[in-house]
Amino acid sequence: MALKRGITPQSDPASNPESPFDFGTAVKQLSDQDPALRRASVHALAKHPEAVGALVDRLKKEEMGLVRQSILTALVGIGDAAAVSGFAECLHSEDANLRNGAIEALKLLPDRTAPFIPALLADPNSDVRILTISILESLKYAEVESWLISIVEKDTHVNVCGAALDLLAEVGSQHALEPIQRLKQRFEHEPYVQFAADLALKRIRGN
Amino acid sequence: MSATIITDEDFLKFKEFFYRKTGISFENSKRYFVDRRILDRMEATGSETFREYFMMLRFQASGEEYQLLTNQMTVNETYFNREDHHFKCLTDSILPALVKIKKNKSPIRIWCMPSSSGEEPYSIAISLLENWPGIHEWDVEIIASDIDTGILEKAKAGVYSARSIRNLSPEVLRKYFTKVDVDYQICDELRQAVEFTRVNLAEPLDTRGYKNFDVIFCRNLLIYFDDISRLTAAETFFDALNPGGFIVLGHSESMSRISPIFSVCRFPEGIVYQKPNPNR
Repeated sequence: MALKRGITPQSDPASNPESPFDFGTAVKQLSDQDPALRRASVHALAKHPEAVGALVDRLKKEEMGLVRQSILTALVGIGDAAAVSGFAECLHSEDANLRNGAIEALKLLPDRTAPFIPALLADPNSDVRILTISILESLKYAEVESWLISIVEKDTHVNVCGAALDLLAEVGSQHALEPIQRLKQRFEHEPYVQFAADLALKRIRGN
Repeated sequence: MSATIITDEDFLKFKEFFYRKTGISFENSKRYFVDRRILDRMEATGSETFREYFMMLRFQASGEEYQLLTNQMTVNETYFNREDHHFKCLTDSILPALVKIKKNKSPIRIWCMPSSSGEEPYSIAISLLENWPGIHEWDVEIIASDIDTGILEKAKAGVYSARSIRNLSPEVLRKYFTKVDVDYQICDELRQAVEFTRVNLAEPLDTRGYKNFDVIFCRNLLIYFDDISRLTAAETFFDALNPGGFIVLGHSESMSRISPIFSVCRFPEGIVYQKPNPNR
């Protein structure tokens, strides 16, 4: 036994024939019982923006982590507005793994995600608003502060405002000082808000 | 030609094109590096303007200029036994773990990517011969790949400067190298043992045949990729590995920060990543 020269893997499709790609078949196989086949279909569809709808539908149902990750990767690779919209829908899911996957995916597509942020921050579901704030942590946009200030000014949910305060403590400027003061008045009987607001004010003032 | 400049718009256009083709993302901090190489190639091809050169790059039927520029843009600095704890990990931990789960005596397959000028795959080969008793019981195949065709030719020739072999002991040098003027050439036995291939990791058609590997070394490549390309590369590596196979990344890279699909393996020599084995 010893070192043995390997054979060059055949990369050329002409010398490595596979069954020809058929869009309809690939979409159908996204629901196959065999996870390996589902994953292979995801890979086959990964370069086809017209498959986004089918991939998002599968993403919402897929229970196997490996296949789900492949779908997330494929959708991030396509990275268009429809894919981002699909990820945004997943923020409403009861499945924490799916929500987390969607959050990470949205963070990877900041330019596409930004236009969706105002609607997500106005979502009736407070959990979605909190998850959206967690996405803002990694979005390097001038609007981040104004979005957070808007929450601090208007949002009625204490935990949403708390999440916004935490991030404002990091990224807030002088513009956030008065809105935070007003928030303290709106939630004057909430010790957590008082604490988080004071901390944010202290950090922004630099003392 | 010296008055030609690459404008911000040109740079952006090139950056997007090169990223789409290779997965390699150049930040503005690399601007001088990129501009210099584009200008060199413009001069070599007699292109008067960036636009003229870019059109050739994009639409040349042979793809020759794209390959030449890619060769210029990739970084190839390496040396024998770089981050050698990984080679110790291979012989002392990874391979003993692998042979326990291998169901037959088919060769152990190692994919080394990027091969650069061959120091890494040859270091792996030497480590196996010097430090792994299992080499007497198992066949091992090493396939080493790179996107740069020029560097692959250097790897096949196997001629190295004193700087490149500085970490090797005199005994290893005597055993596996021949002095050629001021350089050192690796022995025929090792040159014949490693298969060098051209692969663009970002191109699915290139990687589709790369399957059934037991170990992948991909050190200090993914740091040049952006997050999205890293995610795709992780999927490619996953598909290339046998269940229970291992992937070794560079010391500053972490698969856990890229994708959740691999398991973390903490060996005494360092952290590597494993494709889960559903049969265990």
